[in-house]
Amino acid sequence: MELTLELREESGLQWVLERLAPMSPFGRAAARSLRWYAPGQEAALETELDNVSLALALWNAAGTAPVETEPCCGEVTRPDLSALKDPAALLRGVTRCLPLFHDIRGSLDRDPENPFDLVELFEIKHFLVTLEQLTQSYAKLPPFQDLAFLPMDGPLNLLDPDGRRLPAFSVSETYHPGLAPLRAEKAALERSIRAAAGEEKAALLDQRHRLTVQEDLLELEVRRDLTRHLMDRKADFLANMESLGRLDLFLAKAKLAKRYGCVRPTLSGGAALSLQGLRHPQVAEELMQRGEDFTRLDLNLAAGCAVITGANMGGKTVSLRSTVLSLLLCQCGFFVFAESAALPLFHEVALILADTGPGSGGLSSFGREVHLLDRLLQRTRGKRFFLALDEFARGTNPQEGAALARALVRYLGTLDCVALMTTHYDGVSDVAGAHYQVAGLVREIQGDEGEDPRRRIARRMDYRLLSAPPGAPCPRDALRVCRLLDLEPALMALFQAGL
Amino acid sequence: MKKILAPLVGDAPMVTAIGLCKNAGKTTALRRLMAELEDECLGLTSVGRDGEATDLVTGTEKPDLYIKRGDLFATARGMMSLCDVTLEAAALTGVMTPLGEVAVFRALSDGYIQLAGPSAAGQLKPLCASFAALGADRVLIDGAAGRKSLAGAGVEGAALLCTGASLDRNMDLVVAETAHVCRLFASRRPASPGLAAALDGCQDRFALFGPAGEPWELPLDENGLPRWNKLPRERCVLWIAGGVTDPLLKTLARRGAPITLAAADATHVLAGRNVLELFSRTGGELVVRRELSIAAVGANPWSAYGWHFQPQAFEDALRQALTLPVVNVNEKED
Repeated sequence: MELTLELREESGLQWVLERLAPMSPFGRAAARSLRWYAPGQEAALETELDNVSLALALWNAAGTAPVETEPCCGEVTRPDLSALKDPAALLRGVTRCLPLFHDIRGSLDRDPENPFDLVELFEIKHFLVTLEQLTQSYAKLPPFQDLAFLPMDGPLNLLDPDGRRLPAFSVSETYHPGLAPLRAEKAALERSIRAAAGEEKAALLDQRHRLTVQEDLLELEVRRDLTRHLMDRKADFLANMESLGRLDLFLAKAKLAKRYGCVRPTLSGGAALSLQGLRHPQVAEELMQRGEDFTRLDLNLAAGCAVITGANMGGKTVSLRSTVLSLLLCQCGFFVFAESAALPLFHEVALILADTGPGSGGLSSFGREVHLLDRLLQRTRGKRFFLALDEFARGTNPQEGAALARALVRYLGTLDCVALMTTHYDGVSDVAGAHYQVAGLVREIQGDEGEDPRRRIARRMDYRLLSAPPGAPCPRDALRVCRLLDLEPALMALFQAGL
Repeated sequence: MKKILAPLVGDAPMVTAIGLCKNAGKTTALRRLMAELEDECLGLTSVGRDGEATDLVTGTEKPDLYIKRGDLFATARGMMSLCDVTLEAAALTGVMTPLGEVAVFRALSDGYIQLAGPSAAGQLKPLCASFAALGADRVLIDGAAGRKSLAGAGVEGAALLCTGASLDRNMDLVVAETAHVCRLFASRRPASPGLAAALDGCQDRFALFGPAGEPWELPLDENGLPRWNKLPRERCVLWIAGGVTDPLLKTLARRGAPITLAAADATHVLAGRNVLELFSRTGGELVVRRELSIAAVGANPWSAYGWHFQPQAFEDALRQALTLPVVNVNEKED
């Protein structure tokens, strides 16, 4: 499945990815092309999550702060690090090296007959020295699954003939028997040049120039030779870079999970999906900046379509985005922003929001919804998918819209999918598999007129999602919301009279 | 070799050669200094590209940089093939230039090099640190040329100011222009410790202070520029983080009220001689947050354009106008 920018933005995945901080160019490349674990790849995903768990345990063991009680669901065994002597130092051995790597994939993408220049050889040596340091520390850590580094002693010894592992590189005399005598001759000449002046100096400089040309040719020969040998191992270089990228990504995912208290999802075999204490980190952060708290949500969804109803500004869309974000994160091998999560794998996860952006290709909001839905249904024929719909068919006349929404809920019930739809239409929840309602404007508060309307609404709103019986009518809260938003009194009077 | 420049730069860890114009003798001054500092391990770099056999701007013959075994230098990767010393790649700087990333090399033999270093003054400081880490005793920087790009001099250490006949056909004007730059570099930190501390902590583009550094309110317009006509009439201190330009100084001078202008350092003052004189005449004063020093002024009486000054007359005129030591770095005799 393709993680389009639109989906990443609308679900909040982009916000999460911006907070993912791999340390090496290889980790950043891995983060740009995240692997999507589709149904059937549960074992691979478990391995990935095991590795993130291990990285998280390492970060926790290495942190100076007391190890936080990581909320963990299911019977997942946490890696045992008690045998490690100084996990902080071991982890630092790896994390210290990761930012030192330069991206040298561009240098390796060449014809083996085209010699590396001196700086490229320096960069390759630097890569190999750093890789050796990293693998030495890595070997002392508990092993990550399916992650190994190929030994590169051959190339390293080639570029470091004296074995001192210094980062500097020069074409040393050991590479070619002709270099030492030539350089000795040149050095003697240069000593004479220092003492000489005038025409004598010019003649010596001329002589020196001839020697530098010869030296250059010998060095070129050496570089050609080195290049051929190094390019023979190109595949191993690239494999190691990929391993570095994966290791870096495990550590970055774990660090993110530690920072936000994310939880490892368990993979539920069937189609049922359970999220407890779910939150949307982006919305939660915005709320925190305004001094408000995010109300965590609990959702249990089974195959078919569930419906969420409730007051305007009651957080219905946020619950859709949170659910989609959790699924996307899980299927990319991340921990999720919840207290516990049991999620199935889908071939496709889609989010169709009612708000159209500026570029909707000549389609109205209704047209766009229908178009997106149709394309999704065609794409996923015979495959399991997840679909979140925000107030589907609200852009057409209410009678037809309600009928269409009801029909869609019915139709989705016949497909191999899990769907979640918010709606203001009555009669839709009757045919749904489950019905959730936002608790709504339940708190009676007086005397805060003149404050920010958003805060006034937030204060009165209970954002929790409560199970409601099928067919329970949609709440009629538009009037109250308008009043709280300080709508023009004359208009309010007419509105009230018309109800 | 008679040491002319070495005693003047003393033990400054960084020496920047800056030129008032092209062909002012910057590179010649550097070569002289390198020869005089033959016992030190030097770290060499330039602001932008320099060191080529023919000057790319004026097309005149230019002296090469011939360095000694053991010296370090930083240049763009694209310049590697133009250096004929035996090279050791020692570090990468992460500074990108049109000629590739700037790398630090160690010379394993004597020989010619071509410099194309970082072009922003801010990138020089970390580079100097890597030179020091690799064992350089002192860093020499071939700074930019031209009155408006004294960049590179904005680092700690001493500067060698090179001036010469290429600046203008009129010798009096060259001398006056040189004296102007020397006066700028002689700008000092404010005498009031309160004001000095206030300037050190200043983060804004513009700020207004009282004479002892007490912050005053500065009325700004919608573009974030000060409302010049709303500035107080009594003496106040205006901090300007960016360049101090001709129009700005003219505006301040026209107010007819005394004002002290505080700039980051002398290289931020881009205003010309005449306008700065007008500003001083109307009671304006200039202070800087960071003092810079010129160790010596190098004079090149030969121009790239066919005219030249009487060497002795030029030197004498400069000596008369300046309090700084004036040296003729072009003289061949040792």
